[in-house]
Amino acid sequence: MKLPQAVVPVLVLVCAGLGLGAGKLIAVPSVVKDLAPVGGNPLRTTVFVVDGVRCVDTATRAAAQLAGVPGAVRFVAFASRNRVEITFDPAVTGPATLREAVEGPVYDEASGEYLFNVFDVVEVDGVRVANP
Amino acid sequence: MRRLRIALQIGLVIATAVAGVRYAMGTSMASVEKYCPFGGLETAYALVARQRFTCAAGELNLSLFIALLLLTLLARKAFCGWVCPLGAVFEWTGRLGRRLFKRQTYEGLLHLSPRTDAVLKVVFRIAVLGVILAATWTTGELVFRGYDPYYVLFSAHGHDVRMWSYGILAALLGLGMLLPLAWCKYLCPLGTALWPFSSAGRLRLRRSDDHCTGCGACSRACPQALEVSGVPEVRSGECTLCLECTEACPAPGALELHWKGRGR
Repeated sequence: MKLPQAVVPVLVLVCAGLGLGAGKLIAVPSVVKDLAPVGGNPLRTTVFVVDGVRCVDTATRAAAQLAGVPGAVRFVAFASRNRVEITFDPAVTGPATLREAVEGPVYDEASGEYLFNVFDVVEVDGVRVANP
Repeated sequence: MRRLRIALQIGLVIATAVAGVRYAMGTSMASVEKYCPFGGLETAYALVARQRFTCAAGELNLSLFIALLLLTLLARKAFCGWVCPLGAVFEWTGRLGRRLFKRQTYEGLLHLSPRTDAVLKVVFRIAVLGVILAATWTTGELVFRGYDPYYVLFSAHGHDVRMWSYGILAALLGLGMLLPLAWCKYLCPLGTALWPFSSAGRLRLRRSDDHCTGCGACSRACPQALEVSGVPEVRSGECTLCLECTEACPAPGALELHWKGRGR
């Protein structure tokens, strides 16, 4: 069957649109870390968009920032979207404390030094936040 | 159609470069890696084996790779000729080389025999794809970033890019002038992964003996240096449907786009 040449760019654009659009339908985490056993209290999950969480390594580092934070129960990162979901016990902690922990100085094992401004929370539960 | 393709290529090269600079400057959180469909293939193993993505590869890479497979099954390697910003840069380098060395065709100054060309296309690039996938799948890291000309060229000195990375890029661009599209033909791992799908692609260019004058303009215009004038149908998995051959053809109706039906 003979076809007009315009079919090539049309197919290219349709498939590009499908590829760009379908990415939003897939959700597979890059890192999942259980930080503490689930207690009896009802839990809450807050979604952070974190500048600095861009791959498995950086997401693992961000998860380590929450180690020992009371009330932080579970950390799930979607690195390619810079998205982090933290489940916590609202009776013990809150989004502000968790944000502070994520943005805190990061211990770099290779150099033995603390690194500052590694992670920067830019959005909490869909609301952009001001940064100092 | 040629103008549309060139406009699309220029637009995508500029958009990718801008995305790289914005990410490097910290005004955007989307790295150029995010838009590479090969990342989808690199992360496929981790996704199946561990239900996790590899390194910085993610959902968008995967969906772009799946969409690319669909496009390739329909329109062969149209991605390479119409979308890929690196393919565009190498095509332009090939053009420059053709002008510089006053060549009639895109065969280039380094003329490879059909046997060498076939060996390189099959053995060499399958080896390249195999090494990259094996290393990525075993380490869980995008270990070839520093060697990847797409990343080196567009990431604005991104993570893992070293001085030698620019040396490799310069060597590949130089090689691209002597042997047009050398990267795309013999090294590109994405092109290799698409190859079997492209060979089965439905859209084909057919040459009509009734209209064809046998001038060979189509073969001379083909950036992939395919022998368009010598075959009734372009079956090569390398055809990017760039339509340069149809633009160059002086005989109306001699080269036309067809949908390959079952059993034909």
